[in-house]
Amino acid sequence: MNQNQLENLKVLIIVPAYNEEEAIGLTIEGLLRLRSQMPGLDICVVNDGSKDHTADIVRQYSEVVLLDLPNNLGIGGAVQTGYKYADYNGYDIAVQFDADGQHSAKELETIISPVAEGMCDMCIGSRFVEKTDYSGSPFRRMGIFYFERLIRAMSGQRITDPTSGFRAVNRDVILLFSEAYPSDYPEPEVIIYLRRKKKRIEERAVQMHSRQGGESSITPFKSMYYMAKVTLSIVMQRLVGGRA
Amino acid sequence: MDISIFSFILVIILFLIVIESVRRGILETKYSLLWIITCLFMGFFSISETFINRLGRLLGVFYPPSLLFLFGLLFVIILVFDLTRRISKLNKAMVNLTQEYSILKKKLEEKE
Repeated sequence: MNQNQLENLKVLIIVPAYNEEEAIGLTIEGLLRLRSQMPGLDICVVNDGSKDHTADIVRQYSEVVLLDLPNNLGIGGAVQTGYKYADYNGYDIAVQFDADGQHSAKELETIISPVAEGMCDMCIGSRFVEKTDYSGSPFRRMGIFYFERLIRAMSGQRITDPTSGFRAVNRDVILLFSEAYPSDYPEPEVIIYLRRKKKRIEERAVQMHSRQGGESSITPFKSMYYMAKVTLSIVMQRLVGGRA
Repeated sequence: MDISIFSFILVIILFLIVIESVRRGILETKYSLLWIITCLFMGFFSISETFINRLGRLLGVFYPPSLLFLFGLLFVIILVFDLTRRISKLNKAMVNLTQEYSILKKKLEEKE
């Protein structure tokens, strides 16, 4: 894609962070390095009521926008804060980016380009479009497989990595998300929601790293609840056309 | 003491607590409505022996005052459901406020 086109677009990177003091510094530095090549890029960290020093660390970087939530809303509520900020400040593209170092700043252009060129409304960075060196636990992979099947059955589109939180969206979708965004475990549900709104979703192959610090938001204990909740909300969306 | 009279006294006490709570402003009037209706129904069911007996025969209940349990439980379920709905609504408002607050705070910091 040509560089001028990207330079004219206002892009917001949304980094939701909950107790990420170990990894957030490195994540921000990686993004700032990229920013020196893409001036239209802004970085917004949403501190989701962390109990550690996440907010203090982010404050050291004056060029990073810090949205500091006074209490913990969970990933859905935190990410939506970023989308609202993007909505109010007229951003053309918003990208979700994990704070824990799983996502690589180098891959940002891979998922921004299709949205910037108008090929789709949301572009998901997938670990499984092509073979990559990502290897989650067998249980995790099973969960991802299950959601892939469920989403294909419900929406008719094959999404290889429905739980991926690495995604770029255009202005239309920013406005939708600012209005309504699912809570708890939003990633798979959002796909169904956008399909219902007749939005175009595409995937691009990206490399992901293992976590660099902090804890996964999904512990084995929670996975059963995760499966049940996401299944229910996906089926609900389909049946009654429920709101996000 | 007869179970019917005992239940009636309990319902009266509950009713007084509800009214007093509204009077003191602890319970909002609109939320007290469901409670007052519950009390009126339960009071009527427990005191009116002929009604509860007739209803018992109609439904084939061996011991008519056990209908009080059925209705009591039904009202509890309605009340709890009503509560979870209100909590969902409150939660939505709380999420929205938290988000808007953080964005406003950011704007304020920028101005300073």
